[in-house]
Amino acid sequence: MSSFLAKRLAGALVVLALVSMMSFAIIWLVPGDPTAAFLDTSATPEQVARLRRELGLDKPILVQMVDWYGRVLRGDLGHSILLNRSVTAAILERLPVTLSLTGFALVLALIGGIAAGIVAAVNHNRWPDQLVMTVALFGLSVPDFWLGIMLILVLAVQFGLFPTGGYIPLGDDPFGWMRSIIMPAATLAIIQVGFIARMTRASMLEVLNQDFIRTADAKGLKRAEIMLRHGLPNALVPILTVGGIVAGALLGGAVIVEQVFSIPGVGRLIIGGILSRDYPVIQGGLLFLAVIYLMVNLAVDVLYAVADPRVRLE
Amino acid sequence: MKRWMISSLAAMGAVVLTAAPDAALAQRKGGDVIIGMVQAPPSLDAQVTSAQAARNVTLHLYETLFARDENAKPVPELAEDVKISGDGKTYVFPIRKGVKFHNGKELDANDVVASLERYRKIGASASLLKAIDTVKATGPHEVTIGLNEVQSTFLDNLSSPRAPIAIYPAEEAAKPANQINYIGTGPFRFVEYKPDSHVKIARFDGYVPNPKATGRDGLAGKKEVFLDSVTFRFMPEAGARNAAFEAGEVQLLETVDGPTAKRLEGNKNYAIYKVLPFAFQVIKFNHAQAPTGDVNFRLAVQAALDMEEIMGISYPDIYQMDGAWLYPGAPFYSTTGTEKYNKADLAAGKALLAKSGYKGEKLTFIVDNLRPNIDTATVLQQRLKEIGINVELSVADWPTVSKTGFTPTGWHFWVHGYGIEPYEGPASVMAPWVNGTSQQKKDDKIDALYASLNTAMDEGKRKQIFTEFQTHMYDNAVAMKAGNYGLFQVATGKLKNFKPSRIPRMWGVWLD
Repeated sequence: MSSFLAKRLAGALVVLALVSMMSFAIIWLVPGDPTAAFLDTSATPEQVARLRRELGLDKPILVQMVDWYGRVLRGDLGHSILLNRSVTAAILERLPVTLSLTGFALVLALIGGIAAGIVAAVNHNRWPDQLVMTVALFGLSVPDFWLGIMLILVLAVQFGLFPTGGYIPLGDDPFGWMRSIIMPAATLAIIQVGFIARMTRASMLEVLNQDFIRTADAKGLKRAEIMLRHGLPNALVPILTVGGIVAGALLGGAVIVEQVFSIPGVGRLIIGGILSRDYPVIQGGLLFLAVIYLMVNLAVDVLYAVADPRVRLE
Repeated sequence: MKRWMISSLAAMGAVVLTAAPDAALAQRKGGDVIIGMVQAPPSLDAQVTSAQAARNVTLHLYETLFARDENAKPVPELAEDVKISGDGKTYVFPIRKGVKFHNGKELDANDVVASLERYRKIGASASLLKAIDTVKATGPHEVTIGLNEVQSTFLDNLSSPRAPIAIYPAEEAAKPANQINYIGTGPFRFVEYKPDSHVKIARFDGYVPNPKATGRDGLAGKKEVFLDSVTFRFMPEAGARNAAFEAGEVQLLETVDGPTAKRLEGNKNYAIYKVLPFAFQVIKFNHAQAPTGDVNFRLAVQAALDMEEIMGISYPDIYQMDGAWLYPGAPFYSTTGTEKYNKADLAAGKALLAKSGYKGEKLTFIVDNLRPNIDTATVLQQRLKEIGINVELSVADWPTVSKTGFTPTGWHFWVHGYGIEPYEGPASVMAPWVNGTSQQKKDDKIDALYASLNTAMDEGKRKQIFTEFQTHMYDNAVAMKAGNYGLFQVATGKLKNFKPSRIPRMWGVWLD
């Protein structure tokens, strides 16, 4: 187990180094710099040059890159040009928001997706199966920004059930938090429910055709017990894989959903950074998301062994 | 018919409401107004940013020595007055006594000196104060500014709201950019800034209004606050902003699109306001590149374009056809020299094009992803095709486009708005073309006119200089003004006495 973890961590470091190098290169290939956010079109070249000097943007790219890596190795993701604070602090401040959004969405997606997948598998080729698969296809096809706006218009504007946007911290008001998070989390989750449902259905169908299920059936066990005690645990490994992918997709989707629902999370920080070319925020934010993504994948690998004792992590 | 009558009555009501004098309405103290903003301010250090999103907030927190009145004329704000020496090089400002900062400290001359010195070093538009030689406190409440040379626009510059020359307490003015505590003398005080979420400001009960002011007057005047607080919520997504407004979570939107404004127009729960003119729509040429460096080519384009078509498509329901390079009503406003505006003459365009060196090569129109700008570029592209000019659009986000547009290569046409410049006045309208900054090639005539405008103290002479500039812009098609555009603002009908302006002023208004 420990050697497995060491190998995976070493691999993760290489991936992170590549991610940061690519994010650095891509940002510098795109024209424009943060001066556009501070100055308007009447700014003279002298004003622009002075601001670039003050922001350290006049240094050669290699010098800036070495500075960046040096800081990252010391655990410092740099200083946001626009927010005028450390990127680490800016991310940590927004992290609970994004984690609560994606965490809640993941729970919704897993519960909804697994339940729908089981219903579809149990009723294979009957109307509940077709209904679940049609809804899943809709979920997979619908763009998250459109779905978000539609939910706002119907549930918030028409029926006044939820606020149209914004975020209330859990610590301030748990009920308010639930109301503020439910629509954005549902927007994120609905898309993933379809994905999980399809995978659960396929995996369950495979397991349900196995001999041990027939034996359990022949023993006279109840249908629900067969499904939940014998069927689902054996179908879990592929579902776990999907769960890992979904967790990553939710993080990516949060970038758009936070924008639509005006939620002050890490995704919105990165979008703001991109639009204003706040380089440290973009680089730090991407690196941070990559770290979370790798951690989720690592956790999924470890969970394989828990779900299926035949899997040996060494 | 019934609906029409209701709409008309509502519209009449709105007109009556707007026209009614402040005193005729029952003022109520209290309440929180939430304003939906498109962008978050890059900084609340007013001196270091010229972003519109920043001044929407900061002009409620800070004040300046002189500020612009309703007609954008500079009038005293923190200064009592000004005495200008005979040679025009010394300005003595008596500072108002008894003015309090939000931290309770009384404003004095040292605060003013420190703030002006800070602006000269790190202000986003430090060139506004480049004529200053010395700034001295010549009394506890008196500041004397010595200029290197006569500058007729000095008070215009001092009162510019672009990146306001805000007066901070001296101890804050000693701090580097973006590291101050947000303390000013404005009618609102800073409460909190939640990044990516909102800025909250609250009524400053220790506010000392300008005793000479009688009513709300532009960015100056009497700033009486009835609201308890104002929250500027950052909502980048237009659909979400509109939804929040209609759900009653937001009381004012700084801007809405035309179709939404039209949809809400007949509803008595809402008031629709037009800020028109808000800006010029300007199509720039890159003079450093062929063929846009060729005056005959530029004149051909100018002659061929139908500006009404451009404005009608780009800004339906909220545009003015006006060729002058100032807003109507501005002191130097004149249509002299604008005869070549909006000719929409394809034959003349073709004839002029034949005189140019254009050989059918593909030209690049850089445009940011703002819908009206893309519309302008598209209409131009189709129109110019009719006279044989081949234009391709290059659409990118604002930082990319603005970076390219200030270099001499990679573009031929570029469109964007000029909003604050015409508001500031003639010198600011001319400034972007000085040293070839916007057109990428020096234009000696413009440089000379700008220098004369800055030193001519006689108003008649200055007006004549500006008219010459305007004529030169058209005779050489330095750039093309398509027209004036505005923006729609919507507010809840409960927000009373609101008067639209360049920034959503929250003084003088109350909630019913």
